[in-house]
Amino acid sequence: MVSKTEEEQVNRLENQVDNEGGGAWEYLCLVRKLKLRRSDKVLKHGLEILNNPKKRSALGPDEVARTVASYIATTLSFGSHHRARDVCCLKAGHVFGNLHESNDISGTCRLEAMLVEAKGSWAEAEKAYISLLEDNPFDQIILKRKAALAKAQGNISGAIEGLNKYLETFMADHDAWRELCEIYVSLQMYKQAAFCYEELILSQPTIPLYHLAYADVSGFSMLLASEFVPTAAICEILIIFLPVFLPAGGRKEFLSRTREGQTLDGLPGSAYAPVSLPSKTSLKLNVAATQLKEVLYTLGGLENIQAAKKYYASTIDLTGGKNTRALLGICLCTSAVGQLTKGRNKEDKDSPELQHLVAAALEKDYKKRAPSKLSLLSSTLRSLKLSS
Amino acid sequence: MGGELRYEIEQNAYIKLVLHALKHKTSAVNGVLLGRFSGEDTSNPVVEVVDSVPLFHSQIGLLPPLEIALIMIEEYYASQGLSIVGYFHANERFDDFELGNVAKNIGDHINRYFPQAALLLLDNKKLEALAKGKDRNPVMQLYTKDATRSWKLVGSGGGNQLSIKEPSANILLLDYISSEKWQDIADFDNHLDDISK
Repeated sequence: MVSKTEEEQVNRLENQVDNEGGGAWEYLCLVRKLKLRRSDKVLKHGLEILNNPKKRSALGPDEVARTVASYIATTLSFGSHHRARDVCCLKAGHVFGNLHESNDISGTCRLEAMLVEAKGSWAEAEKAYISLLEDNPFDQIILKRKAALAKAQGNISGAIEGLNKYLETFMADHDAWRELCEIYVSLQMYKQAAFCYEELILSQPTIPLYHLAYADVSGFSMLLASEFVPTAAICEILIIFLPVFLPAGGRKEFLSRTREGQTLDGLPGSAYAPVSLPSKTSLKLNVAATQLKEVLYTLGGLENIQAAKKYYASTIDLTGGKNTRALLGICLCTSAVGQLTKGRNKEDKDSPELQHLVAAALEKDYKKRAPSKLSLLSSTLRSLKLSS
Repeated sequence: MGGELRYEIEQNAYIKLVLHALKHKTSAVNGVLLGRFSGEDTSNPVVEVVDSVPLFHSQIGLLPPLEIALIMIEEYYASQGLSIVGYFHANERFDDFELGNVAKNIGDHINRYFPQAALLLLDNKKLEALAKGKDRNPVMQLYTKDATRSWKLVGSGGGNQLSIKEPSANILLLDYISSEKWQDIADFDNHLDDISK
């Protein structure tokens, strides 16, 4: 995660270097330090530095070695493994040959294995990694590359297994947790993704991105678990999209029809027939009950959405009220909560002030920075309020 | 309804989607297709895809941003008489030609309101071959829902069911690729991060 100032610095240097203003070396160092992905720029400027003997000698030997290594890794990620191979042969052998530390020798082997992986020879790469791991079973980079290898081959469950094993040993690696989260979300395994985000928030509680992602995952996707994927997913999406796709007039009509037609045995399968679609409340009841079992009906869905609301609020807190996603998230939560508590006693109804505050903040922001989109925002907010 | 249903995508919409996928080469991206359905009473029914909106390039499986995006898109395009007619998806991996669950779910829902909805999947191999050949066909695979309620690949033998309205679209696309025009593409993710986009 980069801070805003650091990002500005990188962008400034990038502009400078692109316009031949020098400072390529600082730019590369910064990119490497922040672990940003700017493959094409690094390639261009890195090659300039490495090919220019004057510049090369200006750096100390350690620096050269590090530069060469990171350059090769970048070229591999960019896909031009021919170039990587050339550089590898010419420079690495020469450079690493002068250094006798064992780290750097394994560094060369590692790079060679990565070269094989980039070329697509998965089996050979795997063999190379396994042999490297025998020498050094706690090599973080190799362990992660093994998981990446599995993912590249399409073996997602292998990648998950690899990452899980890695994280058992190296629990503090945030990048790995994030990668795991993304894999789970893409597989719609939201409970597991939520768990990963919880870990991230525990270790880095001041990063708003994790709070936001956790809110997104837990509030709206908690009721989707992998075993229910095809049907519950559709139901859940239907629940939320219902108000979206119907024209304004048809909306009320449709909703009233379904509220009458509710059936507690509205099993997911029946959701395919729109007329007998159970009402929003009872469908959430059904999905929650069959999945969570111990949790009280609407309270289950309600609790998660309220938890999500709290996390959106904490994101807003951390970002000083500027995060558009969190503000919109709160609007969504409030309207979803409103839908769920309709028809019940309104003892837990949250104050509508929050909704007004959020809407006002959004409108102010749009007015200031994107006045042309203000009317779009207002109509979106109106439709969210309508559905609550 | 006589004749086979055809899908026609306008140059603008097509190029936007491909450039968006190119901008974020390392992740999966998705987008929404907007257009209209015309000629349903004639023997030449056509779904015209007039425009497209690139949606996200990260955390595609999450609902809240998707919901907001769809509400806004629906509002905006309703005034132009267009509605959501399909969904576009590009997978993260080069050789992944499978329609993932997320894509299918979103497609299923769009299909509920527009039965002729199209699901387009970016064909990475065709995209790569584009620079070498003078292919006029779009670099995407078209999926539609058939009677068995599952998404089936359409027109694999000739691609004549999905066509680009302007035949020179691929050439223009190549030009844009070489001039790195994708930098100008701002998707919904970019908008949420910085609403002036």
